[in-house]
Amino acid sequence: MKYFFFHLMSWPYLPADFDQMHDSAWIWLSNSHYDPVKGHNLYREYINTLAYADELGFDGICVNEHHQNAYGLMPSPNVIAGALTQRTQKCKIAVIGNALPLYNPPLRVAEEFAMLDVMSNGRLIAGMVIGGGPEYFAYQIEPTTARERYREALDLILKAWTTPGPFEWHSKHYYYRYVNPWPTPLQKPHPPIWIPGVGSQETIDFVAQRRYAYMGIPYFHIDVFRRVFGQFREACQKAGYTADPAQMGWGVPIYVAETDKQAREEFEPAMWYFIKNLLKGIGMTPPGYTSPKSAAVILKNQKHFLYKQETWADIENGVFAIVGSPETVRQKLEHYQKELGVGVVLTGCQTGTLPHHLARKSMELLAREVLPKVR
Amino acid sequence: MLNFLKKLHYGARVMLSKSGGQPETIDICGRSTVMTHGGQGEPFLYLHSALGESMMWLPFHQAFAKKFKVYSPLHPGFGHSGGFEQIADIEDMAFHYIDMLDSLGLEQVCLGGVSLGGWIAAEIAVRWPERVKKLWIADAPGLWVEGASLGELFRFSQNRDKMREMLFHDPAGAMATMVIKDQVDEATMLNAYQAMTVLARMIWTRPYDPKLAARLRRIACPTLLVWGDHDKLVPPAYGEAYQKLIAGSELRLIKDCGHLPMLEKEAEFVDVISKFCLA
Repeated sequence: MKYFFFHLMSWPYLPADFDQMHDSAWIWLSNSHYDPVKGHNLYREYINTLAYADELGFDGICVNEHHQNAYGLMPSPNVIAGALTQRTQKCKIAVIGNALPLYNPPLRVAEEFAMLDVMSNGRLIAGMVIGGGPEYFAYQIEPTTARERYREALDLILKAWTTPGPFEWHSKHYYYRYVNPWPTPLQKPHPPIWIPGVGSQETIDFVAQRRYAYMGIPYFHIDVFRRVFGQFREACQKAGYTADPAQMGWGVPIYVAETDKQAREEFEPAMWYFIKNLLKGIGMTPPGYTSPKSAAVILKNQKHFLYKQETWADIENGVFAIVGSPETVRQKLEHYQKELGVGVVLTGCQTGTLPHHLARKSMELLAREVLPKVR
Repeated sequence: MLNFLKKLHYGARVMLSKSGGQPETIDICGRSTVMTHGGQGEPFLYLHSALGESMMWLPFHQAFAKKFKVYSPLHPGFGHSGGFEQIADIEDMAFHYIDMLDSLGLEQVCLGGVSLGGWIAAEIAVRWPERVKKLWIADAPGLWVEGASLGELFRFSQNRDKMREMLFHDPAGAMATMVIKDQVDEATMLNAYQAMTVLARMIWTRPYDPKLAARLRRIACPTLLVWGDHDKLVPPAYGEAYQKLIAGSELRLIKDCGHLPMLEKEAEFVDVISKFCLA
């Protein structure tokens, strides 16, 4: 079992009446709410927290890409990852990921990921994503051909990493006379590819066929994960092999404190801040971003999404988060990671308003008192 | 109650119109295209908006069919019209329709459309002016107009109240609540998603054609611009911009009308355009 610590770098300073006054924390929330002086301290604390995960012995740390929002302040996760290559020694650095259709040329991703792999001495995990719906509003990227461009860009990047250049590239959406990026990655043939997914059959089949790793992003009811990993194993069988648990990652926030009661008291306000404020607008998807069939499925599944949960019982029953004493967390984690059959758990607890010292206390308890028993 | 009666009345007119238009599926260079046609007279090609109103033969189609031989195709990607994979931008739409005129053997037509359809009509007319006898454009995007942003259609497409306000002069009226219903079934929802997908491919990256303004001088035929005076999605400033760039063209504003004059002010819409085309 591998445990990765995930950070979103959320903005914790939204006004108290945000939920009443605003319909989105994405795209249309004015950046006049952002304060770069507070932002400086936040980046420092957040990077310290991620570096601390390495000290505590987490197997890896995760960063990701979002634009024009208060939910995650990493429009360029590669910048943060660059800093982390210099602040960490052992852990993997998973950038999950770069939203390929947003990069023109996508060779930029091949270059920056190669830089990170070389700078970190081969510790990069390369996440390749289509990007969430809001990113298509933020960057004015045409959504109806996003999946085509994603696959072309991915193939281009992989070829750039594995075939000596210069070579010529031509596909429906991209043409380059000279593909020859310096540097090339340190890991051979290339860094591991992780692909986050929200449960669409298309993505599951694609990841299984390519033998990459599927990372089920958090915010879904445990039933959704049960279905998704079942489908993934099936898709691998169809592709002619048995799924390796290392190909399956389960995203779930975990918060540990001295007792169950204390854990809930410390974590619950931060969780609701995240759900009620920061998730608002995350589901904004442009037309054509998925097939009409998938769009219908997504609409039907909305009730299983974290944003729709109203009570702490909803959170607990759906295992949207694991919160409690070290013993409670151990039991739940052990149970579900076994049941889901995953080899990777992507966890995090910094949802915005959680004080930095509590985030670090929870990480310590998780790393010292829980993980050694469940690995 | 009044709205209820108005809806009932419109429904009855839809039923009565129905037999006026004959739907068929024709092949346009490998693109299977659904087209309804009806009436007698000059060929009149109606290009629909992103609402996809030509999925049905509506009373306004029928009203035109009393004066013209109306051709009402569904754009690639709408309803059961195929070939969307061959359409990357607005120019491909224009080429689709010139292919259609060729396969139907139509030398020259009265050409026009509403919104997306009007923009396609303009793109056809600048490329093949000799094929257009009369051109009319209603409530259409296609140009960059400084200081007159388009309505935020994609932002609010799930918000019924905002959509009614954006598309209609009277958002509480019978037509607004009939077009944007409170409850929709899955088939309707999928149809709408598909329609918005086509529109997104045409306008997402840039909701206008940067080359169109300079090309509009090529339009040779009489041109009429028809605009709802309360169009909040494509404001009348767009009509004024087209009017300035097309020599000898005329702009007619329809009073108390939003973005969809063929529905909100059917009688005046049909009358103005028919008179222009027959003059």
